[in-house]
Amino acid sequence: MLSVKNLSISFDTDEGRITPVRDVSFFVPQGKTLGIVGESGSGKSVSTKALMRLLPGNAKLSPESEILYRTKTGHELAIHSLKPSSRELGRLRGGEIGMIFQEPMASFSPVYSVGNQMMEAIRLHRGVGKGEARAIALDMLNRVGISNAAHRIDQYSHEMSGGMRQRAMIALALSAGPALLIADEPTTALDVTIQAQVLELMRELQQDLGMSMIFITHDLGVIAQIADEVAVMYLGTIVERGATRDVLRAPKHPYTQGLLKAIPSINTLQQRLNPVPGDIPSPSERPSGCPFHTRCPDAIAGVCDRKPPREIAVSQTSAVRCWLHDQDARNAA
Amino acid sequence: MLRFVLERLVGMAITMLLVSMMVFVIMELPPGDYADRYAFRKYSGTGVSVTEADVQAIRVELGLDQPMVVRYFDWIGGIVLHGDFGQAFAFETSVVNVIGDKVWLTLAILFTTLIITYVISIPIGIYAAVKRGSAADYGLTIFSYLGLALPNFLLALILLYFANRWFEADIGGLFSSQYKDAPWSLAKLWDLVAHLWLPAVVLAWSAVAYQIQTMRATMSDELNRLSVTAARARGVPEGKLLWKYPARLAINPVVSTIGFDVNRIFSELPIVAAVLGLTELGELLLRAYLDLDMYVAGAILLLLTFIIVFMNFISDILLAWLDPRIKLGA
Repeated sequence: MLSVKNLSISFDTDEGRITPVRDVSFFVPQGKTLGIVGESGSGKSVSTKALMRLLPGNAKLSPESEILYRTKTGHELAIHSLKPSSRELGRLRGGEIGMIFQEPMASFSPVYSVGNQMMEAIRLHRGVGKGEARAIALDMLNRVGISNAAHRIDQYSHEMSGGMRQRAMIALALSAGPALLIADEPTTALDVTIQAQVLELMRELQQDLGMSMIFITHDLGVIAQIADEVAVMYLGTIVERGATRDVLRAPKHPYTQGLLKAIPSINTLQQRLNPVPGDIPSPSERPSGCPFHTRCPDAIAGVCDRKPPREIAVSQTSAVRCWLHDQDARNAA
Repeated sequence: MLRFVLERLVGMAITMLLVSMMVFVIMELPPGDYADRYAFRKYSGTGVSVTEADVQAIRVELGLDQPMVVRYFDWIGGIVLHGDFGQAFAFETSVVNVIGDKVWLTLAILFTTLIITYVISIPIGIYAAVKRGSAADYGLTIFSYLGLALPNFLLALILLYFANRWFEADIGGLFSSQYKDAPWSLAKLWDLVAHLWLPAVVLAWSAVAYQIQTMRATMSDELNRLSVTAARARGVPEGKLLWKYPARLAINPVVSTIGFDVNRIFSELPIVAAVLGLTELGELLLRAYLDLDMYVAGAILLLLTFIIVFMNFISDILLAWLDPRIKLGA
């Protein structure tokens, strides 16, 4: 339903042009969840913002970038070429693709009640009157498990607790009935108990509403719980992608392997944590060749630092961008 | 909201009570009183020698022999109970007669100035923030520094000159000569409006420049908020989005300084009024002080502070309406 091809995004800044997203391609199947994992600065939020054309004015998509979306009515939409003020874009935002953010407190306006913001979205996209919009909003609040919704609907976000606010945020994003939900680290700011509840809720809602979902996180544990497919991003490039089960069981890329090793386990309690060595470089100092070679334990000198690796299919469902798995090209070089 | 308004009203009443006491004390501060002045006026150069007893007689006649506390309660009681601001000694009539029309004209200038200030600066500030870094933004910034740098009496002279040249308008004063002493009518009101814009523009000039910068700065901050991106991601059309989400919060510092703007307008008004030949309260206040005509001075001071306190009250109510977190005390 959504396919992204060769997406590159650059920003013109005072220090020159940076390109935090390079040649990213992925596909979100109908009714499934794609998880995007990466450290901060890996370009995961920027690429999803591009899907709704929410990037600031100094951002540019490269000419090869292609974002294709099939609407609820079966209409093909080329998102990358929509005009900023077009009606299609207005309908797409909220009505076709909904978005929830890491900080529910900051994503609600503090000066309007939760109900006001929900009814605004409902009326915009469903063309209903005030009374009906309120009924839909109430129903949605009940659905996300907010008790006493009839009272809560007129409250402001600062009158709610953290978990409830995140539920309200989900209700808000879903109230206009989107077919695809982009969740940008929705559980990062929550404690683990609430996090589990919210994940459970999102899975339920996805099944009930038949939505597709893009779930951004830096937490592989969350990915394991919620995603059907996963894309691992490093410095603006997808280094490995495939079915979640395959990627997590048998990671091919040294970065994915490092991330998995870094997760503390009950069996390794006596050992120290095993972080991926080094820090993620800034996008303006992107290493030549494979972006990960500066931190890679298996880097091949003279190969990995020269040319970026191409994407190699390692099974029917998964692919990796790594010289270690590209014997042919390595020999040829 | 009702509770909040009532609280502020009580606060306003207490402030006004304290202000009235201060005004009264200030009125008493200059050495001598109107009895001295009256005796001097009446008998100087006539060769009559005036004794302390004569002055005391005048004092009794005018009621100035009473102790200060008694006179304060007489004064404030008259104002609150009958709207009687006392006697204007120098004019030999009541204060209400002397200041009556001038109060309304001063208020007309004040509100026209405020309206011009906000109607111009708020949309332009928003526009500059949205178009940040564009040629239009830089142009507006230059304009506002010019606005801040130019003294307004100079601007008054320049505008006066051009208004006269281009429109051949008799633009000084607040009325054309044929309406000056005419009773109020629609035509006279229209004549007032035609004259009012000039002093209002002069007085609004620097405030517009200042508030454009305020609005631009706060709006730029608000535009970066996640709640704005979130609303955009819900498909709220851009025009509505700007007013509903960032502008409502960005307007806060402009609204909260309404009281300061009123204060500034009152302090700049006498100079502008002198240049443009307007009738307003400031000039009268100065004269009343020179004559020690204390009830006139007191009434003007009290009215001006009342307007400032009242506009602060309005600003509080507006702020609470704009941002519901304020009345919750959060």
